[in-house]
Amino acid sequence: MTLQDRIRSGKFVVLGEFEPPKGADFSAYLKNANLSRGRVHAVVVPEMANAVLKASSLGGCAYLQREGMEPVFQLCCRDRNRLALQADILSAAALGIRNVMAVPGEDVRFGDHPQARAVNDLDLMGLLETLQKLQTGKDLAGIELRGVPRFCVGSTLDTGASGGLLNIELEHLKRKIDLGVEFVVTNPIFDLRRFEQFVRRLDAKQTAVFPTVLLLKSAGMARYIDRNIKGISIPSEMIRDIQKAPDKPQECIRIAANIVARLKDMGMPGVLISTVGWEDKLSQILDQANI
Amino acid sequence: MIVAKQKPIEEIIETLKGYNKILILGCNECVTVCEAGGKKEVAVLASALRMYFMNQGQEVKIEEATLERQCDHEYLEEIRKTVDQYDAVLSLACGVGVQFLAEKYMHTPILPGVDTCFMGVTEERGVWSERCQGCGQCILAWTAGICPVSRCAKRLLNGPCGGSSKGKCEINKEVPCAWQIIIDRLNELGRMEDYERLIPIKDWSTERAGGPRKVVREDVRS
Ligand code: SF4
Repeated sequence: MTLQDRIRSGKFVVLGEFEPPKGADFSAYLKNANLSRGRVHAVVVPEMANAVLKASSLGGCAYLQREGMEPVFQLCCRDRNRLALQADILSAAALGIRNVMAVPGEDVRFGDHPQARAVNDLDLMGLLETLQKLQTGKDLAGIELRGVPRFCVGSTLDTGASGGLLNIELEHLKRKIDLGVEFVVTNPIFDLRRFEQFVRRLDAKQTAVFPTVLLLKSAGMARYIDRNIKGISIPSEMIRDIQKAPDKPQECIRIAANIVARLKDMGMPGVLISTVGWEDKLSQILDQANI
Repeated sequence: MIVAKQKPIEEIIETLKGYNKILILGCNECVTVCEAGGKKEVAVLASALRMYFMNQGQEVKIEEATLERQCDHEYLEEIRKTVDQYDAVLSLACGVGVQFLAEKYMHTPILPGVDTCFMGVTEERGVWSERCQGCGQCILAWTAGICPVSRCAKRLLNGPCGGSSKGKCEINKEVPCAWQIIIDRLNELGRMEDYERLIPIKDWSTERAGGPRKVVREDVRS
C-alpha cells in the first residue's frame, strides 16, 4: 500500500527520516534504512537540513527506491530556481518516486556554506503551485509535458508559532491545502498538552497532520533544544527522567515510544519518527508503542 | 539613496601601488549623505594617504576634488581637461560613478574607494539600512508599503516563514522580520484582505536575472 493510499484510507502512518550522507559513500545510509524496512511506511529524505551540505534528497530517494522502499522527496526553494526545481520534480517522477514534500529550507547562513548565494526564485507557495501545475501536464511556462508526473504532496506545519503568528500559520495551512497538500509534518513534539490545544484548532479532516517524534539522546540534548530551539518546549519532568534513569538510551526510547502511543491515542493519523544517528533504535520505539 | 561604505585603507593602498599622482574624486550625492564619499571623506582619506606615503618615504602626490554627481555626463565633463595629469583616479562615488568615469576616460585607471552596498535610508546618523532591490516590478501596493523582496531574508512573497520570532528575523535578531511589519501594518490599515490574496509567482526577468537593465523613454529623449 502506498503512502497516499494509507493516508486516504485513514490507516496509521509511520514515517521514518533518513538524511543522506555527507559524502559519496551511501553504504551506511542503506544499512540504516534497511533496519527500518517493514516498520515504516515511507521514508522522508531531508534536503540538506539546516543548510548543511549533504548528498541531495533526490539522490537519497533514488537509492531507497531502488532498494524497494518508499521515499518522500523533499524540495526547498533555497538552492534551486524554477527550472532546476521542475527538472528535479520530473526526474523524481520518472524514477518512480511518488511523494514530494515542499519545505521552507533554513537560510544558508545557518549552514556550513554561509557564503553561498541563496536562490529563492520561488517561495514555498510558489513551489506548491508549481507542483500543482506540473501535475496538470504543463510546466510553469504553460508548455505541454511528455508524461504527466503524479505525486502525493506534503509540506510542513509549525505548531510552535505563538500569538498572531499561529493564526498566520493556520491561514498558510489552508493555502497549502488549496494548493494540493495531502499531508503536513510538524516540528518535534514533546509537550503533548500544548500540542493537544493546537490540534483543537485544526480541521483534522482537511489534511493529514503527522507530528514529528524526535528521539532524544541525553538530558543535555533535551535541555539544549528546550532552551534554544524556537517553538519547541520539553517538559522538565521528561528531562529529569532521562537524567535519573540508570539506562539513559532506554529511557529515551521509552519517552519516544510513549509520545508515539499517546499521539496515536489522540487520533493523529500518523507520526514521523526522527532518530538522527540512532536508527537501530527505531524498531524498539515502535515495539514499545505497540505499533 | 545608494548606500556605500569606505573600503579599508589597506585595500585602497594596495590598489594605488605604482601610481605617483592620484586624484581622489568625491561625489556630492548619496555617498555624501551616507558619509562614505563626500567632500569631507575625500579630505580625510587624502590626508591619511599623504601621511602613509610620507612615512613610507614615497613621493606620491594626492589631490582632491568633489563633483556634484558622478552619474551624469555634465558633471563628469568638469575634469576632462585635468584628468590626464593623473596616473589614477580614486573615485569615492558608488559603483555607478566609478564605471561612468571609466567609460568616459579611457586612458586613466579609475579605482573604487568605497564598497557600494544597497539602496536604503538613513535610520539615524551612522545607521543606514536597505529598502529596495530595484526588482523592476513593484508589489508594495499589496504588502502595506513594506518590501518583502529587499527586507525578507528569503524574499518570501506570501507571508512569513516559521522563523519569525518576536518581530525579528530568524537570520539575525537585529533585523526586523519584514512580514511582521507587513502584517502589523495591514492590520493597522484594516486591509488584512490584501494578505489573503496570493501574490503570484514573481517574474524576475525585470530584476538582475534578466541581464543588465535599461530604461528608455522616447518622449523625453533628446
Ligand atoms: S523571519 Fe521574516 S524576514 Fe526573516 S526570512 Fe522569515 S519571513 Fe523573512
